Amino acid sequence: MKIVIIGNGIAGNQVAFTLIQQESRNEICIISAENVPEYDPCSLPYFLGGDVEKNAIFRKKIEDYDHHNIELIFNNKVVGIDPEAKHVTTDKGLQINYDKLVLAHGGELFIPPIEGIDNQGVFSCKQLFETEKLNSHQGRCAVVIGSGAIGIEAAEALKKKGYEVYIIELLDWILPTLFDEPTAKRLEAAMERYGINVCTGEKVLKIKGEDRVKGVVTDQREIECDTVVVATGVIPGTKLAETAGIKTGRGILVNEFMQTNVPDIYACGDCVETIDASTGETAIFQLKHNALEQGKIVAKNISGKQTIYLGAHAFARTNFFKTHAASFGKTLQGSKCLSGKSKVFEREKGGDYLRVILLDGKIIGGQAIGKYADTIGLLISAMRRKDDINQLRCNWKNIVRSDLTYLLPQLRLGHIFGL
Amino acid sequence: MEIRREQLKIDPKKCTACHQCTTACSIMHYGVDDPNFSRIKILQFENKDFNVPIICMACENPICIDVCPMNTRVRKSNGTIVTDTETCIGCKACLYICPVGSPVENPLTGQSMTCDMCEDDPEGPWCVKACHEHGALTICEIDAQITQVARQQAGRMRRIFS
Repeated sequence: MKIVIIGNGIAGNQVAFTLIQQESRNEICIISAENVPEYDPCSLPYFLGGDVEKNAIFRKKIEDYDHHNIELIFNNKVVGIDPEAKHVTTDKGLQINYDKLVLAHGGELFIPPIEGIDNQGVFSCKQLFETEKLNSHQGRCAVVIGSGAIGIEAAEALKKKGYEVYIIELLDWILPTLFDEPTAKRLEAAMERYGINVCTGEKVLKIKGEDRVKGVVTDQREIECDTVVVATGVIPGTKLAETAGIKTGRGILVNEFMQTNVPDIYACGDCVETIDASTGETAIFQLKHNALEQGKIVAKNISGKQTIYLGAHAFARTNFFKTHAASFGKTLQGSKCLSGKSKVFEREKGGDYLRVILLDGKIIGGQAIGKYADTIGLLISAMRRKDDINQLRCNWKNIVRSDLTYLLPQLRLGHIFGL
Repeated sequence: MEIRREQLKIDPKKCTACHQCTTACSIMHYGVDDPNFSRIKILQFENKDFNVPIICMACENPICIDVCPMNTRVRKSNGTIVTDTETCIGCKACLYICPVGSPVENPLTGQSMTCDMCEDDPEGPWCVKACHEHGALTICEIDAQITQVARQQAGRMRRIFS
């Protein structure tokens, strides 16, 4: 059976290497738009900041593919799928037949339509070659547009390289999808302490300069700079899927076996729309651990072992300079659409901050900074198991009295809640 | 990937809580005699005539793998499930979710650790050797029957103690 995987990212490789573990009789072919083996996009800002060598960001070597007889086609972008004839065509005119096709091409950078966005000195930080360009660029003042995880980490990396850094965020606080306002404001203060200028609630109107970047104009100020990093997010790539008549919503739509509506075509990774495992609503999670899990599920289903994907989990953390922050589940903002009584539990100690969002006594999300972020897993597990905090409160005396080891983590959870 | 189906078997009736196994475990993995570094814990019951050594049971569908936010819990070729120390952030999700309560927090790094059946040692797990007098820890082949017996026992234990 010939399996063609579009995209050489985290999800695509996970599919290929899980398939190899299961069976080696398959013929596997990966089509990549880039010309490097699999790398970790999450590590790119560390490479930019000089924390890690270039070699360290690669998750695979060329030899790994050869060793397992995986055919790797570089520099080819797939432009069309013909589900009737069962072949794909690339922009170089290559035609490749398949028995099973996996769409794992990820997302496309969202480039906001700002005047001057094509100028020299405007970069992104999502792909390796773009990051390398930014790395070799000489500048002294940079503006980062957008404050998602990539924007924040890119800002830190540039600060380490000696740039003067501004972050511009359209919404009222940084990392708006991960954190609620009180958490984000604390992070913002921490970033300001490190010398990064954070401007929230501002809109970039124009990038100045004829062909080289000279500055950025927002609705509140004008910043002179020579570098602009666009980190305004990634949108799922659905155009390719549409050529095959695959149903798409915000991302490619898949069923619980990660199959699209066209037979023998699967999809996984950043390009699909999945469900949130804890609430059941449709959502897009472009996170590495979800891509890995989806890849595994696709591989199992292709090799005939029917496996159901239960949904994606939101968990993200950032580590800038010395502040460690983590977020999981829903934010209070995001829980407003859920029915039930939501309550917020907050704790603060020195610079450490914890915020847990409870819905009818059950944890549905949380955010933590500093020491609290180190034990955030206790909360994640309690959310996954749907443990009731009110019940914990009722049983507290029994838990404290008994010395059963499997209750020890619950004891720690109780301490977090100040019981 | 072929998984060797071998597992540690505990016998609570034979365990005397002498802590030889915890000593062996901590010396094997960290070179120190400190029960905090041991991947085995012993649940002692003073007024009952048995003690329960708690170790990773290497479940068929391990929930620790599902819950780990960093995907650091991985199954090794010898059937054990271990934490990848390179990527573990020490969040303690596996400690909380484990139905047996087996993952132990490494006091130095905060990462979790579970039994790896001393996979570096060709002679087999050190704790089994340390326990040869009492025979509370032994190696057994996994088959369906043993799993069922273990499950029944576990169910009974739960009913008694929780």
